[in-house]
Amino acid sequence: MKFLCVLCDQPMKLVEVAPPDRGALSVVYECPECAHRIAMLTNPLETQMVQSLGVQIGPGGEKTESKCPFSAMLPGTSGETASGGQSEMQWSGQALERLGRVPEFVRPMARAGIERFARENGFREVDEQVLDRAKSFFGM
Amino acid sequence: MKGYFDIAGDGGSNVEAQVLAKRSRIAASLGAVRRMLAIGSGKGGVGKSTLTMQLACALRAGGARVAILDADLNGPSQARMAGLGVASLVPGEDGLLLPRTASGIGVVSMGLVVPESQALDFDSVADGDAYVWRATREFALLGDLLAGIAWGALDYLLVDLPPGAERIPQYAEFLGPATAIVLVTIPSDLSRGVVSRSIAALAKAPNRVIGYVENMKGYHCRDCGSIRPLFAESNSIDLGIPCIGTVPFDPDLAAACDRGEPLPADDGGPTWRAVGDVARRIRHTLEAS
Repeated sequence: MKFLCVLCDQPMKLVEVAPPDRGALSVVYECPECAHRIAMLTNPLETQMVQSLGVQIGPGGEKTESKCPFSAMLPGTSGETASGGQSEMQWSGQALERLGRVPEFVRPMARAGIERFARENGFREVDEQVLDRAKSFFGM
Repeated sequence: MKGYFDIAGDGGSNVEAQVLAKRSRIAASLGAVRRMLAIGSGKGGVGKSTLTMQLACALRAGGARVAILDADLNGPSQARMAGLGVASLVPGEDGLLLPRTASGIGVVSMGLVVPESQALDFDSVADGDAYVWRATREFALLGDLLAGIAWGALDYLLVDLPPGAERIPQYAEFLGPATAIVLVTIPSDLSRGVVSRSIAALAKAPNRVIGYVENMKGYHCRDCGSIRPLFAESNSIDLGIPCIGTVPFDPDLAAACDRGEPLPADDGGPTWRAVGDVARRIRHTLEAS
């Protein structure tokens, strides 16, 4: 979907996306020539249809936080991200990078499983060494 | 006044670029996979998933590096059949390390993540009307799986498709033209009729349809050792594609699948021999192309 400033015959630029309000989005566009602004307001179904593509809405896609797509049905996953911390165990930067490369809906379970493995083996932090130990332990 | 195609890019979220970037990640993740084979039917309950696991076992027994992607997100069964219900999920350098059976078959299934007591239920900002967006969300999730798993070097990636004749060409398009397809039926006109629809639906797809497997062609009676009929057979519907082989139903094998014990390597029984024959034909066909 694109927006055109009819007066200037110029494509409008996406300026900002307001935080979702009950599933509705407010996406603000501006004409680069006359600076006229408009807002596209989506209803929740329209928002959901675009999100179902697995894409982020906003300039650069940085406006929407990635999270498990079915957090409501898996207890303990709501809002948990690869870099977010609901757990007590620390993760090294490299270990978090690895966690960030697995599908987002797997991260909570992968995180919980690795932390359990780390605790059972006397580690206080999850780093690449712990992940490699788990890989060997589980025969992967 | 400018029209849609006069303006480069999109409205600002760059949705198209995000989708293309994801396709690139999928291609990179599957870069060392030599062959992809989708096993479908259109008809439910004909043994697609069981046959997929059996074929994986047979190919693995022949020395091939094999993995299964369970594309049936709503009715996953490969995790249970593989005995991986509580598989450990370990992040690797290039994505999630591939969970494997004791014999080394990689298995990726929603059954590894979602307990059998729960139905897959996506979060949604919309209240109801899930039929509008659900299929799109499922393909996006399948893309996440393909892109986020460290598949590594594989000879064969078998994709266990969900039922639905109209969906087979959608999966074929999603998986790409290089993915070959095998269809599964049982010896009944009811099933052959649905498979016939699937073949018609695939007519416009560039994918190669290798042929069909007739599953549950009688059952293997352990008492008398013979193959006894299961269905009143009628072959009035000509599917018009090669029959790759027939596989008898084996009650012991069905029980083993329930327990998460895949087909034992070369048990000498007629089911194993039949599956082995089918696997050899598929392998020969794929390698000859």
